[in-house]
Amino acid sequence: MVTVVTMPKFGWTMTEGKIVRWLKKEGDAVRKGEPLFEIETEKMETEVEAIASGVLKKILAPEGSVVEVAKPIAIICEPGEELPPLEAILQGAPAPGEGVPRAEVSEEAAAPAKPPKPARASPLAKRIAAEHGIDLSALEGTGPGGLIVKEDVLRAIEAKRAAEAKPAAVEERAEPRPAEAPREEAIPGLPKAGKVIPLEGMRKAIADRLSLSARTAVRVTITAEVDMTEAVRFREQLAEEVERRSKARLSFTHMAIKAAAKALERHPIINSLLIGNEIRIMDEINVGFAVALEEGLMVPVIRNANRKSLFEIASEANELAERARKRELSPSDVADGTFTITNLGMYGVEDFTPVINPPQTAILGIGRIAQRPAVVDGRIEPRWIARLSLAFDHRAYDGVPAAQFLQTLKGILERPYELLV
Amino acid sequence: MSSREITYAEAIREALREEMARDARVFILGEDVGVFGGIFGVTKGLLAEFGEERVRDTPISELGIIGLSVGAAAVGMRPVPEIMFADLLPLCMEQIVNQAAKMHYMFGGKIKIPITIRVPQGAGRRTAAQHSQCLDAWFVHVPGLKVVAPSTPYDAKGLLKASIRDDNPVIFFEHKMLYRMRGPVPEGEYLIPLGRADVKREGSDATIVATSLMVHRALEAAAELAGEGISVEVIDPRTLSPLDRGAILGSVRKTGRLIIAEEACRTGGFGAEVAAIAAEEAIDALDAPIRRVAAFDVPIPFSPPLEDYVIPDKKRIIEAVRSVV
Repeated sequence: MVTVVTMPKFGWTMTEGKIVRWLKKEGDAVRKGEPLFEIETEKMETEVEAIASGVLKKILAPEGSVVEVAKPIAIICEPGEELPPLEAILQGAPAPGEGVPRAEVSEEAAAPAKPPKPARASPLAKRIAAEHGIDLSALEGTGPGGLIVKEDVLRAIEAKRAAEAKPAAVEERAEPRPAEAPREEAIPGLPKAGKVIPLEGMRKAIADRLSLSARTAVRVTITAEVDMTEAVRFREQLAEEVERRSKARLSFTHMAIKAAAKALERHPIINSLLIGNEIRIMDEINVGFAVALEEGLMVPVIRNANRKSLFEIASEANELAERARKRELSPSDVADGTFTITNLGMYGVEDFTPVINPPQTAILGIGRIAQRPAVVDGRIEPRWIARLSLAFDHRAYDGVPAAQFLQTLKGILERPYELLV
Repeated sequence: MSSREITYAEAIREALREEMARDARVFILGEDVGVFGGIFGVTKGLLAEFGEERVRDTPISELGIIGLSVGAAAVGMRPVPEIMFADLLPLCMEQIVNQAAKMHYMFGGKIKIPITIRVPQGAGRRTAAQHSQCLDAWFVHVPGLKVVAPSTPYDAKGLLKASIRDDNPVIFFEHKMLYRMRGPVPEGEYLIPLGRADVKREGSDATIVATSLMVHRALEAAAELAGEGISVEVIDPRTLSPLDRGAILGSVRKTGRLIIAEEACRTGGFGAEVAAIAAEEAIDALDAPIRRVAAFDVPIPFSPPLEDYVIPDKKRIIEAVRSVV
């Protein structure tokens, strides 16, 4: 008699489990009650016993696959019994869309419905694809044995760029149109624009990047009010010395960069990149800061900000901002950021919800620093107050770690002498 | 410093002579190193120059040769014993692995064992299974030993001098097919630090990490592949342990493809170690599987065509590169 082993359900809320390890191989004898496989669920890891005795004839869900509760994962047959046709069993199989061999099902069936295999690509190709949002399963590999390699991914990126660059209107037309055809002609009835800024170059790059972030990140913004009185005093006292030593004006953004870097040391999960299916906690703390330009913005990066002094950060940030305004930033100036700071306070903005810079998982927005009435020791006093807004990607971590980071950051800015060490 | 061309054997002899002249504690010993001048002629003339105390012919007694050397080193001498063929090293493994490699550690640093064991190795001379092996990988696996394998006369002289001056036990593998190779060697004094690899040829499409004689096969392969538009970088680690991981990983990150070319047999060899390091530390720089070109896992045949078949050659290296670009 054939026994179909299915993913068991442990507890009310379990919907799926991951097969961590098969304790028997195909062909092994199995006794009812002896441990057969190990699973991992959201809540725990456990061994699962065999529900029948016989021979483990076929493993349908390999180690590492995630299977819904009650779906088939293996077949136990009696010794000497043939493996039955798998279609009936596999109707409930875990794999969506992967070809189930119908005609040739036999004991040696090579591919029962397992969860779809990931595309065969070299590690380098996978990394580049993840960084550019390329779907590997759509690619043909030209590497050894049909492996998808870097060249194939680069070609796909080029093709994607070329396809996106074509204005939609041109694609719909039968006859070729000149490339500069204004877009509003494609949509009849639109009023004529006074000035048209084409979505291309830096503007398009920003639009694409932020669209990706908006589409994929689950953004939550939390805000904290920070008493910046000490920070204002600190800056006043230091500004002259910093300017003398490093020829740079010390700004609150510089202080925020160092404060954030220090806070990131204590909350490493915030200093992470979400790439593909991995939350990569980075060793280097590279803080980027937004620099506004006429037609857009750039985010140069201060590498290892936690290891640099306030002088060094002020001097480097000033130099990078200068070069940004002159369009002289190099790719390495804007690469490898792990966290970003954007400051709109000088424009009177109180707080805002910045868009996270993918693949980073958080961004800090700084609002206006102004004198407001505050309660100190039971008395009302004017204090310098600013609102900090931390937007973070809830896919990577939850509210509490983000709030804790913001709390640490607030603490550093309220007692800024820590920035000197 | 002016340069002239001398052979690999002459370069080694010069290193020995210079170090013996510089430091009275350095002495050499081994089978036929004195009167005969070494069976490959490397130590010719040294007995006449330095005398019997410092150039000692020994009986056929590998365990005794190394044992004597360890003892001498322990009391302050700097012996440079020779083991005539790498294949004979199993006879003195106890003294190398359990004594020389461990005494400094086990005695809390109180003594050091500054011996440099010179060992001819390798195939190509039809000396059959028991006189043709490359066993350097065995010693890479022993903590406490340094393992050096130069591929050119320049590297051989600089590395041997550095090895003799190193206070650690060093096994210095000379490839017997390289003794007659000529190459530029400066006149003056120079040392090559242990643990530093050499880029023998720069390239951008693939990295070959090659050791000893295989460095030359790799360079020949690279020259031929250049004609097909494939740019191959050849890295010669020179010191197998401690390994210059930085140089190797840097190259792998640049080219994305790694091939290791070694003469020893494949399984459990040095190539496996390099491949593991690359996979551990640069996996997402790799654009293709790692390939090892090595001897087949068989005893080295006596029959010339069979020996040539077993030992890797330029053609096998070219095939390996082509399979991954």
